[in-house]
Amino acid sequence: MKKTLLTLSLLGGLVTSASYAQDVEAFRDAVTSGSATWEEIQARAKEEGEINLYYWGGSDQINIWMDRFAAPGLEAEGVKLNPVRITGTKDAVDLVLAELGSGKGLGEGSVDAIWVNGENFATLKRQNALFGAFADKLPNSANIEWNADDPRALLNLRDFGVETNASEMPWSGQQYVCSVNTARVAKEDIPSTFADLKGYLEANPGKFAYVKPPHFIGNTFVQAAIYAHNPDGNGAVPFQNSIDDLGAAELARLITPGMEYLKELDGLLLGASGSGARYPEDPSALNGLFLNGEIDFSCQFGLYGVAIGLRDGTYPEGAEQFIFPEGNMIKNKNYLVIPANAPNPAAALVMANYMASVEAQASKLEVAGMPPGIDPWRLSEEDVAKLTAASPGFVGITQQELDANTAPDTNATLVDVIEATWLEYIERKSTDPIDVIVERAVANLN
Amino acid sequence: MARRNANATALSERLSPFQKVYLWLVAGFILGPFIPLIIQSFAFRWAWPDLLPSTWWLEQREKSVLPLSWDYVISPYSQVWEATLNTVFIGCAVTVICLIICLPAARVLARESFRGKPAFEFFLSMPLIVPEAAIGIALLMIFIQIGLAGTYTGIIIVHLIPTIPYMIRMLTAVYQGLGRDFEEQAMILGASRWQILRMVTLPMLLPGVVAGALFTFLVSTNIFLLTFFMGQGKIITLPTLLFSKIAGGTLDASAAGITLVVTVPGIILLVVTERFIKEEAFGKGFGN
Amino acid sequence: MGDSAPNELARLRRERRLMLLQLLPVVLVLTVLFGGALVLGVMQSLGFAPWFGVNTFPDFSYFGVLWSQASFWQSLWLTLYYAVAATILSLILGILLALALVRTFPSKTLYKYLYKLPLMIPYTVGIALAVIMLGNGGMLSRLMAFAGLIDDPAQFPQILKTHMGWGIIAVYVWKQTPFVALTIYAVLLGVGRETEEAAAILGANKRQIFFLVTLPQILPGIISSTLIIFAFNIGAFEAPFILGGGFPDTLPVVAWRYFNDADYTLQLQGMATVVSIALIAGGILYSYLAIYRRYERRIGRQ
Repeated sequence: MKKTLLTLSLLGGLVTSASYAQDVEAFRDAVTSGSATWEEIQARAKEEGEINLYYWGGSDQINIWMDRFAAPGLEAEGVKLNPVRITGTKDAVDLVLAELGSGKGLGEGSVDAIWVNGENFATLKRQNALFGAFADKLPNSANIEWNADDPRALLNLRDFGVETNASEMPWSGQQYVCSVNTARVAKEDIPSTFADLKGYLEANPGKFAYVKPPHFIGNTFVQAAIYAHNPDGNGAVPFQNSIDDLGAAELARLITPGMEYLKELDGLLLGASGSGARYPEDPSALNGLFLNGEIDFSCQFGLYGVAIGLRDGTYPEGAEQFIFPEGNMIKNKNYLVIPANAPNPAAALVMANYMASVEAQASKLEVAGMPPGIDPWRLSEEDVAKLTAASPGFVGITQQELDANTAPDTNATLVDVIEATWLEYIERKSTDPIDVIVERAVANLN
Repeated sequence: MARRNANATALSERLSPFQKVYLWLVAGFILGPFIPLIIQSFAFRWAWPDLLPSTWWLEQREKSVLPLSWDYVISPYSQVWEATLNTVFIGCAVTVICLIICLPAARVLARESFRGKPAFEFFLSMPLIVPEAAIGIALLMIFIQIGLAGTYTGIIIVHLIPTIPYMIRMLTAVYQGLGRDFEEQAMILGASRWQILRMVTLPMLLPGVVAGALFTFLVSTNIFLLTFFMGQGKIITLPTLLFSKIAGGTLDASAAGITLVVTVPGIILLVVTERFIKEEAFGKGFGN
Repeated sequence: MGDSAPNELARLRRERRLMLLQLLPVVLVLTVLFGGALVLGVMQSLGFAPWFGVNTFPDFSYFGVLWSQASFWQSLWLTLYYAVAATILSLILGILLALALVRTFPSKTLYKYLYKLPLMIPYTVGIALAVIMLGNGGMLSRLMAFAGLIDDPAQFPQILKTHMGWGIIAVYVWKQTPFVALTIYAVLLGVGRETEEAAAILGANKRQIFFLVTLPQILPGIISSTLIIFAFNIGAFEAPFILGGGFPDTLPVVAWRYFNDADYTLQLQGMATVVSIALIAGGILYSYLAIYRRYERRIGRQ
């Protein structure tokens, strides 16, 4: 039955595609220029009827939240949510680009929205695959700080240093936090700097591992190490520039001490005494190692990771969060983006608006442990109280400590280069000097 | 008889001690790992070096806000049911289409000889020796362009590639075993082509066709990579669902539960095939 | 005779047309899909990808770059090593199993269900079982800790995630031993035991019977099952992806990583990798078959 529907819609598509494209184009222009009223968008969304949201489906909690909370929430708005679980966000980005490449333009793709940030957003932007500026034009956009003069708006305006231009809706704000198994590590041995960590591993070889780049959780650990070893001592500051502004030689100089550190660390990591360091491929693998006591510390994005992990049994009973690395705990946001060829753009807007509501943000926080992406100072006291009540809570650290040690993410154009350098220098054990490797990586990516 | 007894050691009907031990070892190798898998599916927290979980799922079941282990597996959130339906639907469609296009060809291959037949037979088994990855990735590009990626049609079409060789081989073996005499006799007795097909050929073919169909279904339900490429995450089957759960190389309670669920259709199929597929029929398909 | 010749010819022609008609569906499907995919794959690996705005066909640089990397040859070596080791082990274990299965023993009916189970379930299940049994935090490791042999998961001998590939090989063997056993068992049932009995009566011992009588009988079964499992092993993706030791990966995983790279032009590099796998697999399987045919001719079969 689905097949016949598909054939019919394909046939219908052929007949009406020209006028349909014009219609979608008019709608897009009305939205991005702000002339479309919310009522018009809602009416059109009801006509479209459904929305295909592509997201990383690796977490049971997020999957449950999507089906149990988001889907009924959107049902109430007359839109059916089709959550498409993918193993890697890049798969959805690839699909959009492949469809655009094969001539499926406005309104003719199959992806309505993607949960993204960083490189994936930068790729979509570079390839002109964005629907346009929508995120500041919806009713719930009021929950988000868009004023460029307010420094707190930074993560809404820039995604890994790349200007969002309101073409993606902030959805969740995360911070890179490490956890320790207190059943295995004495309080005074818990590291707070990279030097401490190395010292601990020299005494206890093999008891740490970080997720393998190019997974973003691995990339972030590498970035934190690079910030902390910045030869100019100004941490994340120079890494906010794009590769064009910075230049390959300067980038190589800035990352060399960090890379050298990671290379030394490589020999002390899990499995290094045997056949070579073993880097887990994804957060669930990291959790498994942490639970079994194969590693004593586990670092990943997840302000509420320990609370959630204790709740579902994936973390050991003695797990606690700790401040590491001091001053360089990377904070960023993730977003919902609408691609240029979304088949149901109005429904996607309704979805984005719903996702930025206090209700959705609170239930997402409570069920999936995903921190809010909306900004508390834009909310009423009552709404802030709702969010506070929904929070699963920190284990062993406080919000003040987290805020005092925050660092921004690395510019998306540098991430690819750093990632390629890590793969070459650490994983493939290249003997070339870092500036040569960086030079090559920059050349390859252009 | 006396000579045979004298050589009983050389040609025994019974198992040698080594074979007895060997059969036990193989059974342990095949089934043993399912024991910790079942335990894991009921665990809440099961860390090294505990031989049994320190906390069981049932102890936490009431306290938990969200469905855990089996509650998650059987809930719609796990998509297990959706994946099962997809797997069965795709498997059935592939089997039927495969049967329709392979039956006539198998008949010709079993009965006629023509120039270049060995080369043609080699061509038919080529999909078995060319890696799935090569076919899958190359086709994906085209399928995206013509809008078949992420559709049932697309998946069913790619599943035909690895299933056709098996189907052809098994059906050809069936036709070979059938011989031509029956049809000719029926023709002499004045039966029409249609009557021959309906009253003579089909009933005699049926057991072999069932065997071929079951095997094709089995192959289709086991395909991972082609489904993964063509499904685009939109259409999930049991193998792709399980892959996304265990891709990191760890197994939590719900992943263990899903693994067990993925095993169930195999067990059903096992019981059914054991009744319908004679080992000899299988051997004719692959033993030469 | 003179009159019937044209009729005869017409009949032959008609039959020929009918025959072609019956072959047509399979030929069409395989040529378009499979042949099409092959041609397309080769063309992409030679620089034909207008959808990325790349069209430098014919361009051998993708193969050039690939083959000049040392890591490509390491990957090839690993791919072949896993495939060959698993194939040989499965063959030996499968033949032993088939030889035991033709004997009579209590609960044979049950056993014939049991041993086929791995055949019926996807490789991913086998991988999950390997993870839970063989990992450093797995069941075997826990049993060793229980026995007091180790006191940290790191002391457990590394089976998964190493380039020795024990875990990958274990999954292949787990899944393929039953396949080999089933094929050989079926052949053994088909040929019966008369020749073996005759040999026994003539005074041959167990070893002689196996190598001179049984083995030649089951050889065709061995050849075809080897072809199938080796070809699968060389192109398999899931097991080396999940259980492999990281860089250098097997070729199918290398291809996968190329396809998932941020740099889209690397997809053509990935296609070159995939085509290389196909060429190598094809070459090996072809020479294997050729050697077997020569052997067959020598012993006078066909």
